Amino acid sequence: MNTGQTCRRVCSGLAWMAGLEGGDTGHGWTGSGGNSLLLPSGSSQAASFGKCFLDRFPPDSFVRMCQDLRVLNAVRDYHIGIPLTYSQYKQLTIQVLLDRLVLRRLYPLAIQICEYLRLPEVQGVSRILAHWACYKVQQKDVSDEDVARAINQKLGDTPGVSYSDIAARAYGCGRTELAIKLLEYEPRSGEQVPLLLKMKRSKLALSKAIESGDTDLVFTVLLHLKNELNRGDFFMTLRNQPMALSLYRQFCKYQELETLKDLYNQDDNHQELGSFHIRASYAAEERIEGRVAALQTAADAFYKAKNEFAAKATEDQMRLLRLQRRLEDELGGRFLDLSLHDTVTTLILGGHNKRAEQLARDFRIPDKRLWWLKLTALADLEDWEELEKFSKSKKSPIGYLPFVEICMKQHNKYEAKKYTSRVGPEQKVKALLLVGDVAQAADVAIEHRNEAELSLVLSHCTGATDGATADKIQRARAQAQKKMEGLEEEPLETLPTEQW
Amino acid sequence: MAFPHRPDAPELPDFSMLKRLARDQLIYLLEQLPGKKDLFIEADLMSPLDRIANVSILKQHEVDKLYKVESKPAVSSSEQLCFLVRPRIKNMRYIANLVNADKLAGRTRKYKVIFSPQKFYACEMVLEEEGIYGDVSCDEWAFSLLPLDVDLLSMELPEFFRDYFLEGDQRWINTVAQALHLLSTLYGPFPNCYGIGRCAKMSYELWRKLEDEEDGETKGRRPEIGHIFLLDRGSVDFGPEVTSSDKSLKVLLNAEDKVFNEIRNEHFSNVFGFLSQKARNLQAQYDRRRGMDIKQMKNFVSQELKGLKQEHRLLSLHIGACESIMKKKTKQDFQELIKTEHALLEGFNIRESTSYIEEHIDRQVSPIESLRLMCLLSITENGLIPKDYRSLKTQYLQSYGPEHLLTFSNLRRAGLLTEQAPGDTLTAVESKVSKLVTDKAAGKITDAFSSLAKRSNFRAISKKLNLIPRVDGEYDLKVPRDMAYVFSGAYVPLSCRIIEQVLERRSWQGLDEVVRLLNCSELAFTDMTREDKASSESLRLILVVFLGGCTFSEISALRFLGREKGYRFIFLTTAVTNSARLMEAMSEVKA
Repeated sequence: MNTGQTCRRVCSGLAWMAGLEGGDTGHGWTGSGGNSLLLPSGSSQAASFGKCFLDRFPPDSFVRMCQDLRVLNAVRDYHIGIPLTYSQYKQLTIQVLLDRLVLRRLYPLAIQICEYLRLPEVQGVSRILAHWACYKVQQKDVSDEDVARAINQKLGDTPGVSYSDIAARAYGCGRTELAIKLLEYEPRSGEQVPLLLKMKRSKLALSKAIESGDTDLVFTVLLHLKNELNRGDFFMTLRNQPMALSLYRQFCKYQELETLKDLYNQDDNHQELGSFHIRASYAAEERIEGRVAALQTAADAFYKAKNEFAAKATEDQMRLLRLQRRLEDELGGRFLDLSLHDTVTTLILGGHNKRAEQLARDFRIPDKRLWWLKLTALADLEDWEELEKFSKSKKSPIGYLPFVEICMKQHNKYEAKKYTSRVGPEQKVKALLLVGDVAQAADVAIEHRNEAELSLVLSHCTGATDGATADKIQRARAQAQKKMEGLEEEPLETLPTEQW
Repeated sequence: MAFPHRPDAPELPDFSMLKRLARDQLIYLLEQLPGKKDLFIEADLMSPLDRIANVSILKQHEVDKLYKVESKPAVSSSEQLCFLVRPRIKNMRYIANLVNADKLAGRTRKYKVIFSPQKFYACEMVLEEEGIYGDVSCDEWAFSLLPLDVDLLSMELPEFFRDYFLEGDQRWINTVAQALHLLSTLYGPFPNCYGIGRCAKMSYELWRKLEDEEDGETKGRRPEIGHIFLLDRGSVDFGPEVTSSDKSLKVLLNAEDKVFNEIRNEHFSNVFGFLSQKARNLQAQYDRRRGMDIKQMKNFVSQELKGLKQEHRLLSLHIGACESIMKKKTKQDFQELIKTEHALLEGFNIRESTSYIEEHIDRQVSPIESLRLMCLLSITENGLIPKDYRSLKTQYLQSYGPEHLLTFSNLRRAGLLTEQAPGDTLTAVESKVSKLVTDKAAGKITDAFSSLAKRSNFRAISKKLNLIPRVDGEYDLKVPRDMAYVFSGAYVPLSCRIIEQVLERRSWQGLDEVVRLLNCSELAFTDMTREDKASSESLRLILVVFLGGCTFSEISALRFLGREKGYRFIFLTTAVTNSARLMEAMSEVKA
């Protein structure tokens, strides 16, 4: 390059740059064309050179202009044939230009431009690849497998590419199988489901929805399936998908009780069916006949489920309900819906002892429970005479400590003391302490030679009057201690007998 | 006193940000309905809401009257109604009734439904079926993390336990994943993840998926919390059944309350002594007034008295609470109860314990307590022997009504109360007896049941992990030695022991046997990826996620462990629970 040439170039470059600052140098620029995206030589090179002679010249506008020129140059190529001026190009924006390239299926060039301009992937490369894929699926002469593979190879997992959109396009072209294949590449299950539903692949949609872990999505598919399939098929589909099944059951529990029943029926789930009718017997039915009928159905179901325990319990409840009804008619008051225990208690509280006993026999209430029950009820009534009679009716299966306790609970020390003598030896100290007889308790504890009992009594020696008792215990303890030590030191027979 | 944190304990992240976020979002939602409006709040949301925004804040945003969503419809005269509810079908019915009644009366109002923490498609479906979908506008208040304390976050979703572990309904998993996602956007990525249980695994995977979809946000940030540990109640479920020594109060209690902060982790036996000490100090400070001159007095009144008064008030509150708990605890019944529980845990005197339970039922002491004891027996003994299974159930039905047939069916399904397979661990005599009692058909049922029922293998696990520490002599509760102090030295909560072991190993390695016994062979996972960026400070912060709820005992035990090892634990739970609430969740009640 000789000096003259350089000078000329520098001058034109400077002029170019001056215009650039004015903002319209690119007008009417005609480059030499040639290879796409090559910097046109000539003035811009000169400008690049000339730039060196300018101080404080910001490089951005120069770089941007060069890029724009390259792009314009590339699309002007006769293979492409879009002769745009700079201002036309600015008016159009790069996005529109890319769209035009895409419409002309000039995908490679469009992608090159995106990469060159470093456009964000989502707006740039991915979008164009997606367009390409959408075009690709329309190529009817290529097999589904090949198309799907080709698309996946090119797209990989480029961010921003929605396989479901491409699949939707494939479906639009009538290529359902291809669409399903493409959906396989879609990482977000949520995106797969709507299209699968549209393509009437509901069962596949259901498993995809379940895979996604999004229960709302599962529910959407379920409702779709419910309308699409007949009831039997719908239930069968549910049966193979436990997650969906429990979701639907939860919905039915609140919204469609009858469907819930049908679901259990379908599965021969007699256990749940029984539970269902039990619930109905107190939640849905009001009339006593209806309730008994519901229980009968429940009992039958439990038998079928080989749950004899539940069946028997249900039958007992039917008997109880009928009986409670009769009691209400004959005695007045409320009996319905009480538990067996409470029914008997209510009878005793109402003074119907005979009836209570009869009921206890009929329902084989264990003795222990009956005793607890009667004890509590009679103490509530403060019917001390009856309580005493009851205590003597036979040997108590629960011991006599509870008698002492319950009397003291009602603050009746006088009655409580009546029972202390009958309390068994292991609980005697406890009983005596309950009625406040510390001295006697101490005697018993000493007699038992029981260290735990002695401490217990000692902890109750609080009042001034208990001083003597406390001393007594301490003495007994000391002696016991001595005896223990004595046992270690001396042979047994030398112990003085009066110590005990 | 109490649990001072070690000087080297790492700082906790500031979770009050979560409150501010929730409040701002709620205000935004309220402002979406400009003008005066009445607010209908679901009962369950009231106390969480109270911690976020009080009535005056609501009033500032033109909330006129507040109503509770309950069974009977409220009469509101406002032109705009706003409903703040959990996404439950029964609430949709309530709203539908209200809207449809207005329609019949020819009245038009604006309705807005705010679902918290998210809306479910099923709810919208119901609105549609009831024909009011077009009349209401729906919104979501993504309020899923309530800081109950500086280290305790609750999702306030008590129904999680029943929905997932009993009904198999997975809809809350997504909510959990969202909450975890929120935490990781706010407090950085978690370099080490551990988890056990199906539910934990599902939540973890869903959360990861969310992170991947929105990638880039947390990358490159320094993690604030070094470990996250997910546990689900389905696999690690025998902790909450034991009576613990925690106090609970229906007062807002948290670390901001000075006194409570000092006593909350103490074993109960210490609390009273501490409080009386505190009371004496207070008195001494009051007493200083004597012998003051005017100026000092003025100073005292203006500066210290207010603080003292406040402390005084708190103290009397706590002493009152303490008294009522003491009253309950010292009762003979309670002692017996504790004795039985400890016997069950250690597995001796089974017959005696069983008859204690029977008596408990016969006397109608407490329906929930009885259930709890039965479950404890079942868990520790690998199921009840058939004879007891039948007789205890019969007794229970007689005491509390036949609807509990359903309760038992629930408990069996959840694996909490099951029947032993015959001849499994029975002694020869017992199996003979049970043969006499049960007929052939019942035997068949037994077979069917026991194959369904989940084995709990409590004894083996307890031995393997030393859950029941051997103690020589008296367990000194004033100077706790291990995590068992929360249960008077009788039992270390399984969940806490597992966390301890895994953290020590930084993996599940060597715990294969335990994992197998928990039936979680495929479901224990670790994921350690970005360790290098974590500071040593953050590596001592551990977020423990309890899916299905955790108890205060577990929290106290882990706080203790943290103090011992220089860790700090942060708790995220679907709800704070206890054995009674657990049983209530399983109970069938007549509406």
